[in-house]
Amino acid sequence: MQPVQDALVYVVDDDESVRQALAWLLRSRGLQTQCFDSAEGLIAHLGLDHAPQVPCQACCLLLDVRMPGISGLALFDRLIDKGLLSALPVIFLTGHADVPTAVDAVKRGAFDFCEKPFSDNSLVDRVEQALQRSAQQLHAQQIQKSLTELIDGLTEREREVMHCVVEGLPNKLIADQLHISVRTVEVHRARVFEKMAVRSAVELSNRLRVPG
Amino acid sequence: MSRWRWLAAVEARRWVLWGVLLLLVAVLLTALAWLALRYEKAQMQDQLERDTVDAVGDVRAAMQRNVQTLQALQPDEQSPAAWVPPTEEVLRNHREWVRLEWRDPALLLRVGVDSVYRTPVFARLGRDNALADVEQACALARRTSAAAYAPSTFVSVQDGVGLEVMELCLPVYQGGRLSGFLVASYALVEMLEAMVRREHTRAQEVSFVELDGTRLALRGGIHRGQRIFSAQQMIDLPGYALVLRLDSWRALPNWLPNLLTVLVLGLSLALVTVLALLARDMRRRQRAERDLADALAFRKAMEDSLVTGLRARDLQGCITYVNPAFCEMVGFAADELLGQGIPAPYWPPEKVDEYGKRQAWRLAGNTPPREGTESDFQRKNGERFPVLIFEAPLINASGSQTGWMSAVLDISAQRASEELNRATLDRLQATARLATVGEMASLLSHELNQPLAAIASYASGSQNLLQADAAMPRAMGQQLSQALDHIADQARRAGLVIKSVHNFVRRRDQAREAVAAHTLIDSILPLVSLQARKTGVRLHLDCAPDLPAVWCDRTMVEQVLLNLARNGMQSMQDLPPGRARELRIVVRPCPDPGEGLVFSVADGGLGITSEVSAQLFTPFFTTKAEGMGLGLSLCRTVVEQHGARLQHRALTTGGTEFFFSLALAHKADALLAPALPQS
Repeated sequence: MQPVQDALVYVVDDDESVRQALAWLLRSRGLQTQCFDSAEGLIAHLGLDHAPQVPCQACCLLLDVRMPGISGLALFDRLIDKGLLSALPVIFLTGHADVPTAVDAVKRGAFDFCEKPFSDNSLVDRVEQALQRSAQQLHAQQIQKSLTELIDGLTEREREVMHCVVEGLPNKLIADQLHISVRTVEVHRARVFEKMAVRSAVELSNRLRVPG
Repeated sequence: MSRWRWLAAVEARRWVLWGVLLLLVAVLLTALAWLALRYEKAQMQDQLERDTVDAVGDVRAAMQRNVQTLQALQPDEQSPAAWVPPTEEVLRNHREWVRLEWRDPALLLRVGVDSVYRTPVFARLGRDNALADVEQACALARRTSAAAYAPSTFVSVQDGVGLEVMELCLPVYQGGRLSGFLVASYALVEMLEAMVRREHTRAQEVSFVELDGTRLALRGGIHRGQRIFSAQQMIDLPGYALVLRLDSWRALPNWLPNLLTVLVLGLSLALVTVLALLARDMRRRQRAERDLADALAFRKAMEDSLVTGLRARDLQGCITYVNPAFCEMVGFAADELLGQGIPAPYWPPEKVDEYGKRQAWRLAGNTPPREGTESDFQRKNGERFPVLIFEAPLINASGSQTGWMSAVLDISAQRASEELNRATLDRLQATARLATVGEMASLLSHELNQPLAAIASYASGSQNLLQADAAMPRAMGQQLSQALDHIADQARRAGLVIKSVHNFVRRRDQAREAVAAHTLIDSILPLVSLQARKTGVRLHLDCAPDLPAVWCDRTMVEQVLLNLARNGMQSMQDLPPGRARELRIVVRPCPDPGEGLVFSVADGGLGITSEVSAQLFTPFFTTKAEGMGLGLSLCRTVVEQHGARLQHRALTTGGTEFFFSLALAHKADALLAPALPQS
């Protein structure tokens, strides 16, 4: 599995030695880490109290279940509320006693949980998988975002022509439907292909189908 | 007030009745005495009357004899002097006559003889003064041809002293021809002397009186006493009527017989009084008996209503009394028990020796313990049951001990409930210990897992670096790599050890079941109310019986509730006096319907400060001197194991409320259902 470039792993644990050891381990596998000693620290960093910023890089969260102050579960709940779970997969770190809680959390959408003391490289493997998912999510979001931008660049008439093209209608029918001349349709069609950076109608429909 | 008046009226009436009674008795006694006296007087009068009749009879007979004596003195015409000697002889024998005369038919005196016992009566005044009387008598005598009398006349003898004289004239016939008259002059006084018997004159006065009451002659007795009884009887003589009168001077009737009567009466009265007293005494006795019967009935009702068995035994150990409660307790009828000695029928056979010794010890005069003795009794059907016996000596009216009275309490129900409570307590305490140990292990595992996790991470990271670094000499790299593997393995091993210990302690984790909410509350209630009583906290429970069951580990949730309740009560210990100490345990449905039940424990304490609040769930953090600091930590663990969160909030009233929710049992079933094989 290819390591994800520019990935960032957030580590939230109240125990400093664990935090440092995890950071050390992850760095040994070439992953960047950012450590917080409490849930509050991460909340402040991500600005969860205000408008949350969607991370612009692949990232994941290693979260201790039991912490003083806001617990790991409470933080997890807030991430769900803010809709950040897909961009920021969560892997819980648990003691033995918290296993049922962790299982429950996974049911509610956590990426995974890992019992302390963890078998470390497998943890890193899971972290990388999480990062990959995050990266995919990020990628998809970026595609969606660029597509949206391209579509936003079309005029009203071009958008109408594009819909008809995607539906597979021939130019003549498009002209009839939109009450314009076939010639005009051809001009719009060429402009759409150009703006959407595709060469054929098939390519255009593929492009539009990806994000759903 | 009115009752008092009524009593006073009754009292007054009683005294009046008594007074009337006494008066009647006095009147009766007086009347009896009076009647007795009157009877005696009547007796005396009767006696006197009889005496009078006797006396009159005597006088009449004597006068008749005197007439005959006079007839015997037939004078001889030829020799009048020859008449004198016999006449004198007669006069000597008859003192009542003062003079005898022989007169011719023309009433001329032929011969007259005076009594020798006194001076001749007619000597002073002359016989002629009395001739009118003689003529009157003789005229009558001639007419009737029988003796006749003339009314008496007073003849004065000398110096105003005289005597009453009555003339008797007897015609004398010779050859059918009146030849003359014999005239005898009676002295009335002498008549009384001669003709009335001495016994009649001894005690009474005898007198001749005229019809008009004029006393003519008197013969006196001795004057004794002041009372005069008199009786008179007429002596009808031809030509004259005399009345003989007896006057009896008597003392008042003798009191002695009357005294006897009175004595008898007095005794009767005393007897009546005694009877009355007896009756009163009887009435009192009856009242006392009625009171006693009432008291007995009251006592019996009391004994019958007792649930405590009562048993009395004499000094030999024989049962002399049992009450119904005791009979019911041991299942024997009273008849089967009374008179039974040692061993008693309700003693279990194996304890006979022990109880016998105890009995002997008590009979030796030792006082049984005040707090009672615990024993085992056997019912008639063989069932054993524990009893508590209180004994006290039975002292009779004269102050000597006659036995022992025992109160017997059946304490089997109490025992059972004690045992049940103890069992609940034991179970809760055992679970509490187990839970604490579990929490300890959990905490330890957490605390140890942290460094172990760090060690493992460092080892793995080092390994990663080692493999990435090509500059490292190969042999040395291998050795280091092996060492790092070992480090990681050992850390893992330590982790496994901790995990196994943890699993051992927490093997109950899977014991989930459907439990009704009130069952959870009920099972901790004995312990909580015990502590509430001790700390003066009022317990307020609000748990509707129709709440649905929850899906939980019953034992652990009980521990949570118990811990929270204890904390709540302890938080109210330092409240200033006067503030209400109330602990509310409330079970209510979640705000989201069907989500589950919320269990809430709210105290009225002083609340939680912010510093304490930050460390509230930190293990080994405690505000109590003897606390371990595991209670809330344990609670949080348990609640989180049930997929919920233990929350708390400050109440406006000043206290703190801890609450958590539990999923409903049927919902948990629904969650589990897909995991089960579909049929």
